[in-house]
Amino acid sequence: MSSKWWIPRRTAQLTILALIASPLLGMTFFRGNLAAADLFGLPLADPLAFLQALIGGMVIVLPYLGSALLVAAFYFILGGRTFCGWICPVGLITELGEKLRRRMGSGEVTMPLTASRWSLGLVLLTVAMTGIPLFEVLSPIGIINRAIAFVSLMPLLVLAAILLVEITVSRRVWCRSLCPLGGFYSILGRFSPVRVGFIENRCTHCDDCLRVCPVEEVLTPSLKLGARQVTAGDCSRCFACVDSCHAKALSIDLFYK
Amino acid sequence: MDSETTCSGITRRQFLKGSAITPLTLILAGTGVATVYLRHADAQGFTLRPPGAIAEKRFLAACVRCGKCAQACPYLSIKMAGGEAGVGIGTPVIVPREIPCYLCSDLPCVKVCPSGALDKKLEDIEKIRMGTAVIIDRESCLSIRGLRCEVCYRQCPLIDKAIVIEPRHNTRTGEHTIMEPVVRKEKCVGCGICEKSCVLPKPVIVVQKTVETQKDSYEF
Repeated sequence: MSSKWWIPRRTAQLTILALIASPLLGMTFFRGNLAAADLFGLPLADPLAFLQALIGGMVIVLPYLGSALLVAAFYFILGGRTFCGWICPVGLITELGEKLRRRMGSGEVTMPLTASRWSLGLVLLTVAMTGIPLFEVLSPIGIINRAIAFVSLMPLLVLAAILLVEITVSRRVWCRSLCPLGGFYSILGRFSPVRVGFIENRCTHCDDCLRVCPVEEVLTPSLKLGARQVTAGDCSRCFACVDSCHAKALSIDLFYK
Repeated sequence: MDSETTCSGITRRQFLKGSAITPLTLILAGTGVATVYLRHADAQGFTLRPPGAIAEKRFLAACVRCGKCAQACPYLSIKMAGGEAGVGIGTPVIVPREIPCYLCSDLPCVKVCPSGALDKKLEDIEKIRMGTAVIIDRESCLSIRGLRCEVCYRQCPLIDKAIVIEPRHNTRTGEHTIMEPVVRKEKCVGCGICEKSCVLPKPVIVVQKTVETQKDSYEF
């Protein structure tokens, strides 16, 4: 291991869970969940939840627009699916499920990453046509959030179903290919300057990075064709590839190449 | 990689899989879920929302289910709906028979709502229209039967405005007065305190869908 990016990343994921649980312990600096929240008085909002509320509810509240833009700008700069890799509690759980799946050696089927963009389209179309915010209704993120903040355990069955399918049938299918929020961020974060860089002449083609990458398709252009950066918006900026690279061929760039 | 590989590293087969089969699967799965799971939250009848909630259909879309209103409610009146609410999963509900809305004058739930699902234009608690109380079972109401109950009237935060007592002669006994509680629909905010306070095991006064104008005192 040449670096240890997994430590701050895991810390961030666990901090989010602790923040959501904090009101239960009587602490007041955090309110809400990943759909909309107040952190030390700073209002934060999920931009996709904002879009659904805007399209389906036809209400616009300016401070809400501001907080959604703030969060969108944050992920635009950090790039790709940073949300999926560092923040999302479902990501944390399916990541642990993935470890189990590898041990069992089951569920090797993969679905294409583009599907998440289609499911984003489906969500936006549904809310425009029927006024039903499909993602807020079905979102396992919301289900986990409420399970923690309001101790409601039954809806966690949805999460259990996702985990079951991911472990036995298709690897990380929800996060990779079905989650509309992942699709949303993969579009939003496509042009970020924070990217994984690739130095071709250092690469030994051991393929360690491909084995740890949750969305290994994003590394293909670099490894096969020598592209100098991972440009795909689907990269979750988890930097597991950087951690795994013994030859130091992968690094973190803060600029375009 | 074989000769079919394009510059983006995607084969024709992969492309077709991604752009034809996947959306088809998604649409099928989506309609499946929609028919079974996405019925209207209203399907089971009226749902009492926190103060300031916009019209139910728009509310379902505008509410981002962040739970801040429930966290702000000092009486824990606001609960988050579970899967039984269908499309309404994760939206705030008030079940008056458990804990009604006690009408905080500073409306903390409305203040914290980020998305406008609870309308911030609402400032005066007397302008709240969450629902309207209705006496659904006049035969069982103790006051209407001639006893001195009137608990709903005395508990009503808008006593003598939203619930009034209309006395009339008790023709059955011939010598007493029936002190009948009557809901003034145009004043009722729908907080549910009357429903909570009804002394009968099954409340005879309950909050239902908002009725703006009074047509008949005995309408139910």
